[in-house]
Amino acid sequence: MAEPIIKAEDLTKTFVSKERKRGQPKRKKEIHALTDVSLDILDGEVFGLLGPNGAGKTTLIKCLTTLLLPTSGTAWVNGFNITEQEDRVRASIGCMLMGDRGLYWKLTGRENLDYFGALYHVPRADRLKRIEYLIGLLKLEDFVDRTVETYSSGQRMIVAFAKSLINDAPILFLDEPTVTMDVPTARDLRQIVKDLNKAGKTILYTTHLMHEAEELCDRVAIIDHGGIIALGTTDELKRSLGREDVVQLEGVFPEDSVARMRAVPGIRAVNAVAMDSGLTKLDVACLDSRAILSKIIEAVTGNGATIQFIKPKEVTLEDVFIAKTGRTLSVDTRVVAEKGAAARGR
Amino acid sequence: MAAETVSRGFGLGRPGWRASLDIVRTVFIARLRIILRYKFAILGETLLPVVFAALPILLGTAIAGNEQAAADNFFASTSAAGQGTTEFRLYMLLGANTFMVVSLMLWLIGYWVRREQETGTLEALYLTPAKRIDVLAGVTSYTLVRALIAFSTAMLLGSLLFGVNPLSGNFGVAMGYFLLGVPALWGISFFFGALVMRMKEANAVIQLLQWVVSFAMGIYFPVTFFGPVLKYVAMSFPPTLMNDAMRSSLLAIESFYGPWYQVLALMLLAAVTVPLLGYEFFLRTERRIKRDQGVGQF
Repeated sequence: MAEPIIKAEDLTKTFVSKERKRGQPKRKKEIHALTDVSLDILDGEVFGLLGPNGAGKTTLIKCLTTLLLPTSGTAWVNGFNITEQEDRVRASIGCMLMGDRGLYWKLTGRENLDYFGALYHVPRADRLKRIEYLIGLLKLEDFVDRTVETYSSGQRMIVAFAKSLINDAPILFLDEPTVTMDVPTARDLRQIVKDLNKAGKTILYTTHLMHEAEELCDRVAIIDHGGIIALGTTDELKRSLGREDVVQLEGVFPEDSVARMRAVPGIRAVNAVAMDSGLTKLDVACLDSRAILSKIIEAVTGNGATIQFIKPKEVTLEDVFIAKTGRTLSVDTRVVAEKGAAARGR
Repeated sequence: MAAETVSRGFGLGRPGWRASLDIVRTVFIARLRIILRYKFAILGETLLPVVFAALPILLGTAIAGNEQAAADNFFASTSAAGQGTTEFRLYMLLGANTFMVVSLMLWLIGYWVRREQETGTLEALYLTPAKRIDVLAGVTSYTLVRALIAFSTAMLLGSLLFGVNPLSGNFGVAMGYFLLGVPALWGISFFFGALVMRMKEANAVIQLLQWVVSFAMGIYFPVTFFGPVLKYVAMSFPPTLMNDAMRSSLLAIESFYGPWYQVLALMLLAAVTVPLLGYEFFLRTERRIKRDQGVGQF
């Protein structure tokens, strides 16, 4: 059993802002961005942090990365306390928190990597080797010696990702690293994240893309209204909904097919419907369709059935997210994008 | 405090002085690279003090009727203030140039903080384990070099244009005072940088303070012209001391602050106390910002 490498205990952050309403004097208003958040992130895992905008994800990450001081509670990162050993916490982490922000646009990608490498105390000789390694790993050769201002947004993102790896830290904080990347680049990056994790790095990953979370994360926490409302492996979270997967089978099924299927452990119900085409449609309700799909097929084909079409309908992480927060992540992202566009248009 | 989690990686090591020097060097080079990629910035800094000096020189000459009359007038006025000199052109040129140096050194830190805040690099910088003092040392070294280049070229250009000899007085001592005045400027720039980080605004504050500083420094006139309260306020401002020390050695006139050893003692005192106070203020402000909304908020 791996031990925690990040541990938060009752982490609370309250912001005080001034509320300005027309015709009324300014009033102080407290915003509880985090309320008593406790969690352990285990050494060597990819930990996903999901939540709607304004849920407290960024505040949690900012507290853990020492950018913000918590109002109360505390946390340890790589054995160092976030309020008392800030420098050592920062030396233990690599971060990509603001997308392509955080790069100097008048410097080249290589110069940016060198600059931040020095700030992370990577000795010059090691830094030069590390930069060459990252250029090769992330395929930066074609643009790394141009100033960042000439990059596409995807190129800026990948250099920002390279920056997070410059100090070869045991812990990585990646905040939506594939946003604005094209599909192949995002796929390559996810593979690199997996490889980094295999090499022993612990990764805290936030994303709005459920398939990314499902593909990468060993465990996922859903955060909303400043608190963690669900935490577990993706399978645990799906099971926590108590809903069933449904697998639809279409084909020609002998009479006792339904009975044979009902005998398969894990199957809750089987419903057969005759179709106009002469085929039969079976709706098979089960707890975990992935785990028992082969047994379902074995049960019916062993009886001489012919399956022409299989359509699984699994419980997804998106379903879990909707059930826990009442919103979908895609809608949440779209609202923010629309607000951003409106603000830019002003 | 005992570690509550497992612990590994080179975050466990303590960086030494070499790592600090590496940061200073890297930040310095990066700043220099960036400004050199803005092609006309340094040219503007060279021309501006010459223009600043030209205005009062030409105005004074026009009012007096000719250069000799202007010099006589200036001698009469500055003698009353205890600093009689006929070399009004060098007086103005030196004042404008020192003001340019003070401006660059004070405001560059403020602009740097603001720009880094807006582009997101300030937050990126705060995510690194680099000590603030190392980064600030890199930035201030850069501002010093930039100010020195601007000072030297503008002095050379101004001297050729106005026909004055900047090496007539004790140039070495003047440069010594210049360098001794720099740490106090850094200290004030830390105060200012902290204010910009807190207020998230640089332009309006700089535009206002720029004229207040030029006024308080007495770039075109001796500050002894002020009334008693304003005079002592102006004299307690380190750039005024620096300006006066340089002028008194270069033009061979008396200093408002007394004999040379008093000037030197005051400059040493400012060089030690102002940076310490400024850095402490910077750290306290930074801590307060981290308690509130964070350094990246812009």
